[in-house]
Order: sequence, then structure tokens, then C-alpha cells
Amino acid sequence: MTHNEYKPFLAEIKDVIKHTDKEYTFRLTYEGAVKPGQFFEVSIPKYGEAPISVCGINDGTVDLTIRRVGKVTNEIFAHRAGDRLFLRGPYGNGFDVGSYKNKELVIVAGGTGFSPVRGVVEYFARHTQDIKGLTLIVGFKTPADILFREDFAVWKDKMQLILTVDQAEEGSSYQVGLVTDYIPKLSLKNAETAEAIVVGPPVMIHFTTLALLKAGFREENIWVSMERKMCCGIGKCGHCKVNDTYICLDGPVFNFTKSRELID
Amino acid sequence: MDTNTKLLKKNAFRVTKVRGVTASRVRVPGGHLKAEYLSLLQNIAETYGNGTVHITNRQGFEIPGIAFANMPAVNELLQPIIEGLGINQQESGKGYSAAGTRNVVACVGNRVCPFACYDTTAFAQRIEKAIFPNDLHFKIALTGCPNDCAKVRMHDFGIMGMTEPQYNKDRCVNCGACVKACERKSVGILSEVNYKVERYADKCIGCGECVLACPVGAWTRGEQKLYRLTLLGRSGKKNPRLGEDFIKWVDEDSIIKIILNTYGYVQQYIDPNAPGGKEHIGYIVDRTGFEEFKKWALKDVQLPETAEVYTPVYWKGVKY
Amino acid sequence: MGFFLAKDGVNAVLERWRDDYLIYAPVRMAGGGPYSDTDSIQYGQIHRVEEIVYDQKSRYSFKEILLPLSQTLFFFTEDQIKEAEELKKGAIIFLRSCDLHAVKRLDQVYLQNGFEDYYYQRLRKRVKFVLMGCQKAFENCFCVDMQTNIIDTYDASLEENGDGYVMDNHCAEWESLLSKYSLRQLDVRPSHVTETNVHVEIPPGVSIDVAKSKMWDEYDGRCINCGRCNFVCPTCTCFTMQDIFYTDNGKVGERRRVAASCMVDGYTDVAGGGSYRKKNGERMRFKVLHKVYDFKKRFGYHMCVGCGRCDDICPEYISFSHCINKLGSAVKEVDGNDA
Repeated sequence: MTHNEYKPFLAEIKDVIKHTDKEYTFRLTYEGAVKPGQFFEVSIPKYGEAPISVCGINDGTVDLTIRRVGKVTNEIFAHRAGDRLFLRGPYGNGFDVGSYKNKELVIVAGGTGFSPVRGVVEYFARHTQDIKGLTLIVGFKTPADILFREDFAVWKDKMQLILTVDQAEEGSSYQVGLVTDYIPKLSLKNAETAEAIVVGPPVMIHFTTLALLKAGFREENIWVSMERKMCCGIGKCGHCKVNDTYICLDGPVFNFTKSRELID
Repeated sequence: MDTNTKLLKKNAFRVTKVRGVTASRVRVPGGHLKAEYLSLLQNIAETYGNGTVHITNRQGFEIPGIAFANMPAVNELLQPIIEGLGINQQESGKGYSAAGTRNVVACVGNRVCPFACYDTTAFAQRIEKAIFPNDLHFKIALTGCPNDCAKVRMHDFGIMGMTEPQYNKDRCVNCGACVKACERKSVGILSEVNYKVERYADKCIGCGECVLACPVGAWTRGEQKLYRLTLLGRSGKKNPRLGEDFIKWVDEDSIIKIILNTYGYVQQYIDPNAPGGKEHIGYIVDRTGFEEFKKWALKDVQLPETAEVYTPVYWKGVKY
Repeated sequence: MGFFLAKDGVNAVLERWRDDYLIYAPVRMAGGGPYSDTDSIQYGQIHRVEEIVYDQKSRYSFKEILLPLSQTLFFFTEDQIKEAEELKKGAIIFLRSCDLHAVKRLDQVYLQNGFEDYYYQRLRKRVKFVLMGCQKAFENCFCVDMQTNIIDTYDASLEENGDGYVMDNHCAEWESLLSKYSLRQLDVRPSHVTETNVHVEIPPGVSIDVAKSKMWDEYDGRCINCGRCNFVCPTCTCFTMQDIFYTDNGKVGERRRVAASCMVDGYTDVAGGGSYRKKNGERMRFKVLHKVYDFKKRFGYHMCVGCGRCDDICPEYISFSHCINKLGSAVKEVDGNDA
């Protein structure tokens, strides 16, 4: 008998970390194997399901950072530590942390797009000896939109961290500018062998990869994580298909040599 | 020249501007006819008329320029048309019988138009059979759907096709096409509830836009042919006005019975001194009151369960 | 084994089949068409062979049986998730060669692309197919060019022949039943068409580069994104999930999936705003290339089976086959751009 992959299982909320009014991280019990950049279908019966990427992996729990944007996520936000949510997954390929070992790595992220790659950053923040050099460029719209402040405070000593906002009030201590502004200024030993990960909205991915190529990165060393509408997460519903590729099955993490061919 | 103009008119000819010259008036109930009759009309116009034909407002042809003397010959040539169109005729070979009751007019209907809810011409012909010939001044028009291309609200009896949409929620995929179509093209009585569609039936006008818009056949047309019957619209000199709703979701049989009942009512109450023995029914109803009319009109009518009668009915319009 | 059956014999067989199966075939739904006084040929349950419509193509395809337009997956009570039960009986589906080829495409996506789909699989394994031989092609068919005009993976075939019916049986468990109700045995080869009015030619050089062609712009204005082409297509299988509370009891509800169309607004909408392929021409390109390019790139054969239903139904008279035939010059056009 085929397993009913649509049937969700219960996971207990261990903690809720509030970043902004609209963005919380839910720490949920999960015992199985999981990689950063994979995603779960989080659901509340009678409200619906939402695909949420894994943003942190801990012993016996996973962190899912959720942006409150609709019916399902609204309802999820009404849940507190001790409550339970339904999950299916994890689905998708996720990031292969091993492939970045002993290399220079640049991670460029925009807004909540940072979630899928946060696990990668965290891994190398804990294992600094595994990486030759790590640069993290994270952009948010305004200072009020900044997520993971505590992380950045810890990480700033373990990597080169550039936290930037698109706009800020005058006199603010934040760097103002687009993430792409910082790419030409990167100080790398060798851009040709450096790896880059880009996550964020489609337009941001487009311009960031252009800037990386211009800075000397090789196409096959650039990785992106894509977001599309997903209903099933398992290659059936069709919404996330782009050309011959199912983002949910073959992605969401793609090498740039593949993703550049994914014309919606 | 001695000619009885009363009889001439009753035989569907006209007294024209030119002495001794008439025009033959050919009615086409429901406005749809075999093309072969057009060549017969052409022949009449070229043989006895002046070689022209006027297309009338009430879906007929008027062949002008005919000498009074040629009326019998024209009547004989009209015979195949009269038979082919199923006109109620009193005496074969003697032309149209005509007088007060006007040609029953119809839009093109569902023989052609995708919006039409029924075969307008066929229903028009059925009414023709039931009411002709008759001296009383009745105007009846049929239109396929609530778009009312036939402008039936300008008539004593306006018959507007309706379809009661049937919803199969198991086929509905919530694409929103029907809700959008109803909102934009019709009365906006569909709404999405729980990813399915709810119809506010009380306000539904039965236009069928939802059925036409549905890409999966979740909306289909009701089995029963139902209509909106509007009353006593008119043009004219004194008080032109649009017809008002009388019954909605009513059936064919009831409509025919109501029309026939109204002939009885008019005979009872028509002003005996009305010019030419003709009076718009509306003026009679203004005199007797609507309730008296309704009593006559609905006598022995077995309305279907779906029918909703509007009462009382008031008319607006322009008063001079 | 092939059989010749009188009409009564076929009906006796159908009656016995109905003990274990619901039998579906294209039937005439009187007054079921969108226009008044028009019928619709679509799939419905049958009891007798006379109900099966052979002389017209069905408006919608058989896929609605395997993948219902609206299918409940779970029922929710206050604290429980209950799986929707499966049908008590299996199903026998009467279909044509093109549609049986389409079954392979449904299987590909629902059984072999990632996890097996539980709901599809549990019904699929209890379905048998009866091939309706085609003696002539219908107006918009192009099965011959898509190589879907012939098939032998049916459980049985059935078509009228003279004063009775002929059936080719591939299903061992039906053999004795058919022997019992048939008049005689004979060699039966289901009819198939070898020529169609419409022809398509899929050029060999198609790549995603044709997305840059101007050929798609025309559809921005012509297409009304109603999705009929997808809903009638026997190979379109997209769905959207829906969770609801019952309006009369908010404590219980269900999760269901309903058919979705890549032509209809909302198909690519992501939570929080944002969507892809806003123009109808882009949607047309996405659909057409899926059918005759990228499905093959992934699975090795074309998705389109050439049934022509999309052409039959388009209210704007947009022809899919005509569009395929424009790909050749589009390939040249974009090659020229690069030079």
C-alpha cells in the first residue's frame, strides 16, 4: 500500500521567537533527517497548508521562520509554545553543506529569503575551521524589518557580516544600500574558486547573480534557492513547475547553470 | 373608385399617400423565415409593386406601389408564404388577415444566439397560432435573454427568456469565472463561499452568464423553459412607458393563457368610442385599476411552482 | 481472445461487470451543453451499451474519473484527521486510443514523479480500460501525428460491427464471462484511424529559447484565460489544495484538491503577493511547451496526445495544433535573433 504522503503529522511548538510583528520563528519537534533549504508543508486543518523552508536545525527540533501573509500563516501565528502544528516533509533538495567546505563562500540574502540559507550560515558559524572564508550580505527594507538580530550579533565575529537596509532614517547607524552594491567591494582570495549562494525575491536574485558574475564568480559556483507557489510539495500539483523542472522535487536549491534556464 | 378601406386594411393592405395605390404588409411571426420566400417577395414587388421593399419595425415586409386593382393577384402570390409561415388565415388565397393585433416579434433566439434561453421564433409562432387574427390592439415581443435585444419592454406583453442555473459543486474548481461574469455582465448575485459558489436566487435574473462562463460545466441550464413576463410597455403620444415585471420564472402555457385572458378583459373594458376601435391596453388598465386586470389575466391560470407574481405593479414613463 | 456479441450479450456482460465496477463512458447529457437546447457529451456512469456515445468526441475527458475535479482528501473533526474513503467498487472506463495514451501520462506524474500519489494509486489499481475503436477521426484530432492512434494496452476493446459488437479481450478474468455471453469467437482488431484532417509538425530544434519568440504576443489579446483548454485536456493534471470549515458547523471541515489551470489567474500566486506569467501569451507558451517540449525533456515522450479537445472547446477559436505548427518559424526567428 502506498504511503499517504498528504497525511500530516503533529509537531509540538517548543519555542516561538518573535522577530517583527509579521515574522516569527517556530521551533518544532522533528527527529528525522533534514537539510537547510528543504521545506515543510505546515498546516492547520480547515485553514490550509503553507510551504515553509527550514531555517534552523537543532537536536530534535527544526526552526521554521514564518511570515504572516495570509489565512494559514495568520492562524499559525495564533499558536504558542506547547501547541502543536501539522507538518509534512521535509521536501526538496536543500543545501549540501559539504560542498562548500574548505572554500570561500559568499552568501547574499534578501529579507525573509534569508531563512532557507540560515542553516548553512549557522553551520559554518559553529564550524569556522571548515570554511576558508565566509561573507554574509543580508539586506532588509528598513531597520524595522531586520530579522535574526541575535544571530547577527553572535555571527559578526565569525564571518564578514554586511547588514544593509534599502532605506533608513537619517542618522541611523545602519548601512544603507542594495546588497548588490557590496559585491564589487568583496575582498576574496580567488573569486574564480569562491562559491556563492543567493536567496531572495526573483528580481534580487537576477541582479545579484549578474553582479557576482561580473565580480569574477564562475556560473557553476553560484547557487540559488527559488520560491514558487506549491500546493503538494511532491511533484503533483504542477504549480511550481518551470519548464521541465519541478521546484519542489528538483529544487528549491539550484546551481545557476540550471536556474538561469528556468524561464517562468 | 369605390373601395372599402376598412376591409382593405383588414386584408393587410395600407391606404397610402397616393390615391389608388396601396402597399402589401407581410408579417413574419418570430422574424425568421426560409430564404426562398424572399424571391417570392421580390417577384411581387417587381410584378405589381414599384420594385422596392420596406423592412418594417415589426419584422415584416411592406411592398409599396401596388395598384388597388392588383390586390387579389398579390394575395394569390402571397399564399405560399402565408402557408409556409404558418399564418392563421381565414380563407385560402385571400391574403393575410390583419387588424389590431400586431405581428409577434422575436430576437434571433437560440437558433443562432449563444445567450438565448429558448427558440424565440418557435414560441412566437405558437402565440401567433393562439391569437390571430384579432382586431384588438395587442403588441407582443419575445427576447431570448435579459439582454432584451428585442426591446420587449416596449410591448404590451414582453417575454424574456430565463434559465434557472443548476450548480454541481462537485465539478466546481473555484476558477471564479462565473462570479466575475455575473458581477461584470449581470446583477452580481454570485459569491464565493468556502471555495464554492453561492447564488442569491431571489435576485437572479436567469441570464445564464454563469453557465456560459463556466469552463468545466459545473453550471448548466435548468430543464424547464421559464420566462419573465413584462406588462404594458408602450410608445405613443400620451404616456410612453416601459413595461414592468408581472411574473418571473413563468412557463409558456401560462403566458399564452394570460394573453388570451387579456383579450377577454379588453373586450369587456375597452372604451367603446376609442378611435378606430383601438386602445392601448395600458390606458384601459389605468382606468380599471391593476387588480381588476390581474383578476382577469390570471383566471384559470395554473402557474408553475417557480412563478413569482409581482403585485401591485406601477408604471412610470413620460406624461404629456 | 476476440468475441462477437449481440447487443443483449454486451448488456449482460455490463450487468455482470457492474457487480464489481462502476462503468464510465462518454454519454449524452441532454440539455447539458452551455447553450440552450444543446447536449453535452461527457463522462457518466452507464448501465447499457446503447448509452455509450461513439459518434462524437466527449467534451471533457475520462481523467475526471481518475482525478475528480474536486476531490476530498481528509475530513477534519475537532481533533482528528480522517482520510476520505475510497470507492466501494473499482471502475471500468471506456475510452479512445488517444485517451488511453493519456493514462500513461497521468501515471507518469502521479506514480513516478516523486512520491506515488496515494489517492490516485488506490483507485488506479482498481481501474480497467475498454478501448473504443475509432473508425474515423473527428474534426480537430491529430492523433496520428502524435503517434497515439494505436494502442494495445487495453483490458478489452468494444465497438459496433454489423448487427452486433466485437470485443477483443486482454483480461484473463473476463474470458469465461465473455465466452458465455458471446455468439462466437473471432479475431478482433480494434479500429484505428490512419489519417486526420489536422496535422502537426513539432520541429526538432525546439528549446526554451522559443519563449523569446514574438509568436506568443498574439495570444495576449486573443486568449481570455478561461482555462477550458486545460480542463478538457486528458493530460492536464494540476490541482490546488483547499481547506474549509463547513458553514453549518465550523468545528469540522475538510481538505480537498480541485483541478487547476495554468491559464487561469492565480495559478502562480505566492503568499504575500507576487506571481509569474501575468500575460496570457506567456501562459499559452508555458502550456504549449509543456505539451510538446519540456514534458518530453523530463520523461522522454510528448505529453500531448492529439485528442484536439482544446481546439474543440476554445471560445476564442485559438487552435493549439495551429500554434504547434508555428513553432518551426519561431525556432528560426529566435535563432536569427542570436546571430
